[in-house]
Amino acid sequence: MTAIEIRNLAKAFGPVRAVDDVSFSVAAGTITGYLGPNGAGKTTTLRCLLGLVTADGGTALVDGRPYTALERPLTEVGAVLEATSFHPGRTARDHLRVICTAAGLPASRADEALEQVGLADAARKRVGGFSLGMRQRLALGTATLGHPRVLILDEPANGLDPAGIEWLRGFLRNLAHERGVAVLVSSHVLAEVQQTVDNVVIIARGRLVHQGSLAELTGNGERPVRVHAAEADRLVPALEAKGARVERPGDGVLRVYGVDAEAVGQTVLDERVLVTELVRERSDLQEIFMELTREA
Amino acid sequence: MALVRSELQKLFTTRLWWIMLLVMLLFTGITLAVTIGFAGVEGGQGAPALPGRETLEFQQAAWTAGAGSSIFVMVLGIIMMTGEYRYQTITTTFLTTPRRGRVVTAKLIAGLLVGVLFGLASLLLTAAAVIPAVLIAGGEVALLDGGIPRIMLGVVATSALYALFGIGLGALVRNQIAAIVGAIVWVFVIEALLTAIPALQGVGKFTPSGAAQSLIAVQIDTGFGQADLLPAWAGASVLVAYALVFAVVASLTTVRRDIT
Ligand SMILES: Nc1ncnc2c1ncn2[C@@H]1O[C@H](COP(=O)(O)OP(=O)(O)O)[C@@H](O)[C@H]1O
Ligand SMILES: [Mg+2]
Repeated sequence: MTAIEIRNLAKAFGPVRAVDDVSFSVAAGTITGYLGPNGAGKTTTLRCLLGLVTADGGTALVDGRPYTALERPLTEVGAVLEATSFHPGRTARDHLRVICTAAGLPASRADEALEQVGLADAARKRVGGFSLGMRQRLALGTATLGHPRVLILDEPANGLDPAGIEWLRGFLRNLAHERGVAVLVSSHVLAEVQQTVDNVVIIARGRLVHQGSLAELTGNGERPVRVHAAEADRLVPALEAKGARVERPGDGVLRVYGVDAEAVGQTVLDERVLVTELVRERSDLQEIFMELTREA
Repeated sequence: MALVRSELQKLFTTRLWWIMLLVMLLFTGITLAVTIGFAGVEGGQGAPALPGRETLEFQQAAWTAGAGSSIFVMVLGIIMMTGEYRYQTITTTFLTTPRRGRVVTAKLIAGLLVGVLFGLASLLLTAAAVIPAVLIAGGEVALLDGGIPRIMLGVVATSALYALFGIGLGALVRNQIAAIVGAIVWVFVIEALLTAIPALQGVGKFTPSGAAQSLIAVQIDTGFGQADLLPAWAGASVLVAYALVFAVVASLTTVRRDIT
């Protein structure tokens, strides 16, 4: 079942095309990573989806409707946008209670939510004294107040320590895989979400560059063989004769695609070239990510 | 209405409201102390600047002290609106209630209620000072006649409407400091000049505080000549018109704006 559906979404701020014809969807019970470097347009997409920013074109629907048409939005969608949206002088409990009142939820939900995110002890403390990690937990508590079926998080790992990130992973996995919640989580660091997400959507300069499973992402990247040799140029004709495609990223360095390491080694032997390094490059997700989102 | 309760809860779960209440009562108290202290005291030309404590005119003058609370209510209104932008709580507010018009309406109603409460608080303080002062001077306490009910109503209504001014201004300007400084300059410099200088009173009587004065004023000659004011009904209409304008401004500026 499609929980989030974004179709041909576009939003410009003056001359900046922050989001440019982006389409993707998120199914119930899955975690989708929304990835891209800073300024790629992730936050803008999420704010359009949540009715905070008016899109110039396209549609962004939650459960088939625009967010602003939801009668009781907090019971359908929870959202954590970039941190610190709390009044520093209000206690954590009061912060949640104010929202419960406006959303028509019982005030008891505030205490339950604080329990769930491990803030029960800090319930009566003013948010001004909270650490970044505690604020992120409180934001998650806010987002889950109404037991929503869809959860949207913008860079939730920012400012969390490794233990906090580990806790967040467990929290999201439990919601998605045990309770069938659709989770869309943005990040500019692939490694942060790599172990958590089922699918990835990658955006760069406002445009979608990849959508699919993590496995597909790895499969997409070919693993070239890198050769360091002073007389590297002498290898090129022989390699190309074997059907290889050769890149020369630097002086004395070759990146060979389309043949395996053994074929490259055989060529080295045949041509009697002294090599200082011959290695199959790792298929590094981060590198693929960088490659995909690199400035054109 | 749940949203109004939520707005009131927002206000009463931070320290701001009672700090503002204390400051407002302090301000009203100082005005009262001056009014009572100088009542019946001979001025330079031999005529007392203020009527004696046993007179009805003194009571009329003293009861207007509460009107000074309006600026504090206005600042409170400004903070009710700009605080949401300053701390970015506006995001959560609109996520909870995406129909923004409802949020603005709830804020305006909550502001009116708080304005009424502040107005009543300053009247209570006034009563606590004026009634003993009159009794000690051997005068007769007037509460339900001599134009006093109209003054009381005027103080409360002005206070409530100034909350709306604050909310509207806050929605328009959004920057808390700028809005508060703007309000203070307007009330204490521009309006003060427009309503105090006789040549400018033709304009000044149409400003919010000029209109408010016409609601609460007692026509006493303080030696500077009668102030040029609107009739009370017209003053009330002008104030309500300002409140409506500010309410519309608050809605229009808030409903379509991108929250980024
Ligand atoms: N309110 C705004 N006014 C002008 N430009 C904006 C605004 N918000 C975002 N942008 C621009 O839109 C682009 C996308 O920003 P954003 O959606 O925040 O990216 P991300 O969240 O992926 O880092 C950036 O170039 C940013 O500078
Ligand atoms: Mg962002």
